[in-house]
Amino acid sequence: MILVIAEQHGGKMVRATWETVAAAQQIAAGAPIVVAVPGAGVGEAAREIAVAAVHEVVTVDHQALGSYTPDGYSAALEQAITELAPSLVLLPHTYQTRDFAPTLAARMNKPLVTDVTAFKRRDQILTFVRPMFQGKLVADVVADGPDPIATLQVGAFRADLVAKGTAPAPVRPLTVSLDETSIRERPEAPFRQARQAVDLSQAERIVAVGRGIKGQEHLPVAQNLAAALGAELAASRPICDAGWLPMERQVGSSGQTVAPKLYLALGISGAIQHLVGMKGSSTIAAINKDPDAPIFEVADYGIVGDLFEVVPALIEALKELRRT
Amino acid sequence: MAFLGAFLVQVAARVRLISAAAGSLSVDRPAVRLRRFLFDVLLQRQTIRERPWVGVAHAFVFWGFLAFSGYTIVEFLRGLGLVDLTEHPLFLAYRVALLPWAIAVLVGITLLLIRRVLFRPAALGEAISTESVAIALFIATLMVTYVLGFLVDEGGTMGDANWWVHMIVILAFMALIPASKHFHLVLSPITVFLKSPELGRVGNLDFEKEQVGLETVKDLEKKIVLDALTCVECGRCQVNCPAWGAGKELNPKTLILQTQDALVAGRREAKLGEIYSEKVLWQCTTCGACENQCPVGIEHLPLIIGTRRGLVSNGDAPPYLGGMYNNLERRSNIWGLGYEQRQKFIEAAGLEMFDPARHEWLVWLGCAGAFEADYQKSLRALFDILRTKNISFGVLEKERCNGDPAKRTGNEYLFQELASGNIETLRNAGATRILTSCPHCLKTLGEDYRRFGYVAEVVHSSVLVAGLCGDDRREGPVRESVAFHDPCYLGRYAGHVEEPRQLLTRLGADLREPVRNRDNPFCCGAGGGLLFADKEEEPGTRISDVRFKQLQETGAAMVVTACPFCSIMLKGAQATAQADTQFVDLMTFVKERLQ
Amino acid sequence: MTPMKIAVCIKQVPSRDWQPRLNDSRTWIREQDAAFEMNEPDAYALEEALRLKEKHGGEVVVCSAGPSRVAQVIREALARGADRAIHVESDELAAADAATVADSLAAAMKDERFDLVLTGLQSDDMGLAQTGVILAQRLDRPHATIVMEVEIGQGRVRVKRELEGGWFQWVTMPLPAVLTIQSGINQLRYATLKGIMAAKKKEIRRAPPIPTRAGTSGVRIVSLYVPEKTKKTQIIAGSTSEAAKELVRRLREEARVI
Repeated sequence: MILVIAEQHGGKMVRATWETVAAAQQIAAGAPIVVAVPGAGVGEAAREIAVAAVHEVVTVDHQALGSYTPDGYSAALEQAITELAPSLVLLPHTYQTRDFAPTLAARMNKPLVTDVTAFKRRDQILTFVRPMFQGKLVADVVADGPDPIATLQVGAFRADLVAKGTAPAPVRPLTVSLDETSIRERPEAPFRQARQAVDLSQAERIVAVGRGIKGQEHLPVAQNLAAALGAELAASRPICDAGWLPMERQVGSSGQTVAPKLYLALGISGAIQHLVGMKGSSTIAAINKDPDAPIFEVADYGIVGDLFEVVPALIEALKELRRT
Repeated sequence: MAFLGAFLVQVAARVRLISAAAGSLSVDRPAVRLRRFLFDVLLQRQTIRERPWVGVAHAFVFWGFLAFSGYTIVEFLRGLGLVDLTEHPLFLAYRVALLPWAIAVLVGITLLLIRRVLFRPAALGEAISTESVAIALFIATLMVTYVLGFLVDEGGTMGDANWWVHMIVILAFMALIPASKHFHLVLSPITVFLKSPELGRVGNLDFEKEQVGLETVKDLEKKIVLDALTCVECGRCQVNCPAWGAGKELNPKTLILQTQDALVAGRREAKLGEIYSEKVLWQCTTCGACENQCPVGIEHLPLIIGTRRGLVSNGDAPPYLGGMYNNLERRSNIWGLGYEQRQKFIEAAGLEMFDPARHEWLVWLGCAGAFEADYQKSLRALFDILRTKNISFGVLEKERCNGDPAKRTGNEYLFQELASGNIETLRNAGATRILTSCPHCLKTLGEDYRRFGYVAEVVHSSVLVAGLCGDDRREGPVRESVAFHDPCYLGRYAGHVEEPRQLLTRLGADLREPVRNRDNPFCCGAGGGLLFADKEEEPGTRISDVRFKQLQETGAAMVVTACPFCSIMLKGAQATAQADTQFVDLMTFVKERLQ
Repeated sequence: MTPMKIAVCIKQVPSRDWQPRLNDSRTWIREQDAAFEMNEPDAYALEEALRLKEKHGGEVVVCSAGPSRVAQVIREALARGADRAIHVESDELAAADAATVADSLAAAMKDERFDLVLTGLQSDDMGLAQTGVILAQRLDRPHATIVMEVEIGQGRVRVKRELEGGWFQWVTMPLPAVLTIQSGINQLRYATLKGIMAAKKKEIRRAPPIPTRAGTSGVRIVSLYVPEKTKKTQIIAGSTSEAAKELVRRLREEARVI
């Protein structure tokens, strides 16, 4: 039996949980799949996941699990796993999981493979595929002991491929006993970083403008794109020097260093002083009139064209996406 | 006698300061030094150079001083009752021959005095130096009394009084010299001779001996002490300093005078970082203008870089340099980028790995060659030129930064790490002739690496290509207006000012010279670690903005550079100014115009 | 404030520059070809520890497990200001899994009674993100991961954890505790010349490794290889609207960033 440990926030499943269920379905090969939902008051979340084609959903519902703590979750899940005795435990490789999965594995003396992107079967042995050396290499890894635990890289499996059950799976509670006084961590409520100061280093998506924007009056073109993408606005040095955008929005060796998931460079040539500020971005897309602009050396995607034409087209395409 | 005693006591005090100082004095390459001595001291080349009227006036005073020395000695011998040569016919002829000199000196010193008091040039400082006025008046008096000596009856009271005034003024002068800037009369011939033949010579630190750089006044080396005592406060260093010219606080003259004050006051334990106000030291781009202009042989750079070393050794480098050091340490390049880009460039440009059996030249790509897209374009142009001229060349498989940014900012440990790694690679590769388009690499590989025992012929691309293209011409109907920005490390440090110009004019350029050019350019602002300094709140404008304006004022449509960092800085300034000046690297210019 | 005894666990990893070369069995890299450096998140952990020592007094002890070459990063840590070091020396630990390494470190560290143990959230080579947390379990200490800020109180520590999507959370736990530190939370100091000279005289205690535990929790690499896709710039051609649509599609489906 494959056990999927779900993650929910505020009673709603995170997308990564769906991905993990999809992965479990991919490799189950007939074995039953059980989803455990830890937390407090997780009935609704359990019912949400129960539409997937799984054997059953088990709630590990305890007041002490209302706020996440590694002590609480690892103690509760240890009991759940002992009772359910799965041959494989899957979790998504989220910030939260990284905080308790190793503890769980260490307490139960189980092998733990983290950041898995795919599965294989080599000679009937379940093999986990995971990146190493910052993605330069890939490793096929096996567990040396029985009943391993694995965390799956977020985004590696597709949530939209989860097979739905013909009828919702049964939901039942699993009782765990927890001594609240033995939980050593006292968490406070999660918060978002205060928004007054512009902190580009935390932004997930950034739209940056360079000299190609030509004038302060044209900034709304970029701002509209940023809004459509849910991105922060940034700029190369000349834009900030000219006062068109405040200095906090400058990216480069004399400004901020950023590493967002998406960096969209509009009309930026890619001079080295700017590049060193954004080279850590996961995905770089560039729009520039000059096909020889250095930015294209580092971009993953590029469009050679006039940003005043391309950007409105991008905004249109994004709107279309939202519609579907 | 009392005056002589006063003189000797003060001189002794200063000699003690010098002998108590650390280090030793080097006199290598004496031929170069003697030649410089001849031109700069005897022929007063440095004083005349930038300020011709002032220089000539001073030259006359100086030559007059030399001319008069014989007279003064003879008179002293008579006055002391030792020997009287004053009646000797040679002496009498000599006395008459000195008359025109006396006039010349008088005219000279009067002009200088008027300039100082009436015109109040900024270079001479805010307040009028009373000491200078006093000395000027002394000299004037000496000359006046000398001339009077011919007009007044020698034996009479007037004659006597005149003679005594003359002698007393000389004695007073003597007593005043050591404590004033006029000590340069004694010291400057020495400091000029002792000045290093190469600009900005900063030796290696010996880690075995736990040397960490200059931390307190007592660490100052002998030449620095000599320099501090010889400063004539002329302000040539100040007015040529690009930081000062951009409105920053760094003033090389102030640094030397602060050193002098601290030394004379005996503050041996005082921290240099406090005497100079640390942050001023980080405004220096190491362009060398100060040292290059100084008429009395002061070397500002060993002082600035030496003090930087002391600060860096204690962890007191400014934060932006910490990031650069981490990059150099972890990634061996200043930007902390991965070397796949360099590999991509090598493959895309079809470069061969250097093999001494097949290649005449090793082309050193440098950090900019590995990562900076525009400079890579200019390197491609260079490769094309070399191939057209049938010059065989190869590149190294792996380079680290040559270490210049670490050396000039005072991180000697990092510099030596990088240098020793590179030298091992270069020795294994068997390279003896290295070609580079970066003047900083030129200086470091060609000069600084010699101190590790690595000697190679290192040549800048402009020099080699100027030689290769000696017969190439391009005559267009219209000449293109071009301003060439001399890189400090090429024009001033290496003295190569003609080769780029030859290339440009032969290939159709109409050169428009900016105000500061050739061997005294106005720095672009990248050197000394300042490439990364923008993050800090700085007073004044950016050095690069000032220089860009100077280049714009030539009216040239195109600016040609021969250094990747000049190019980065000036293009940045262009973007800030929102100007449309075309920037072209010299190699690209040449390649595009070769038939 | 009471002085603190802080341990920092650092790992020596192949430098980021290094191009992958595999050993003959293709289960690990060819170590002879590699250049090594301190794991970057561990460098930030070290910096944090040094700052805490400057603020509260005490000592910073750097701990590392691995072959003799690990001495390089230990000396680097000492040069930056750590007071002494513990080196669990063993060639096997170079490519060992997290549990094995954590066991060895825990055995070497447990008698020292550290107030705080800091380490990077994961290593640049294996990227398991487990060793610090398992170490906490072995030392029987509370822990927090992906820590951005550390505040020491009376007998307790309050830390700011990074969560997904720009969220953060403060958590308090009693000392002694174990924290795994996020990269980039502070400015790394560089090793000064004086620090490098002083490091030569600082103590490095050698500790024996724990024999590999009987395999119930081990994880083993059976094959290491180069992934097929390499990063290449894709220039999207076509009319403006076509190119725009295509870019949006690729960003969504390939890059998965929107």
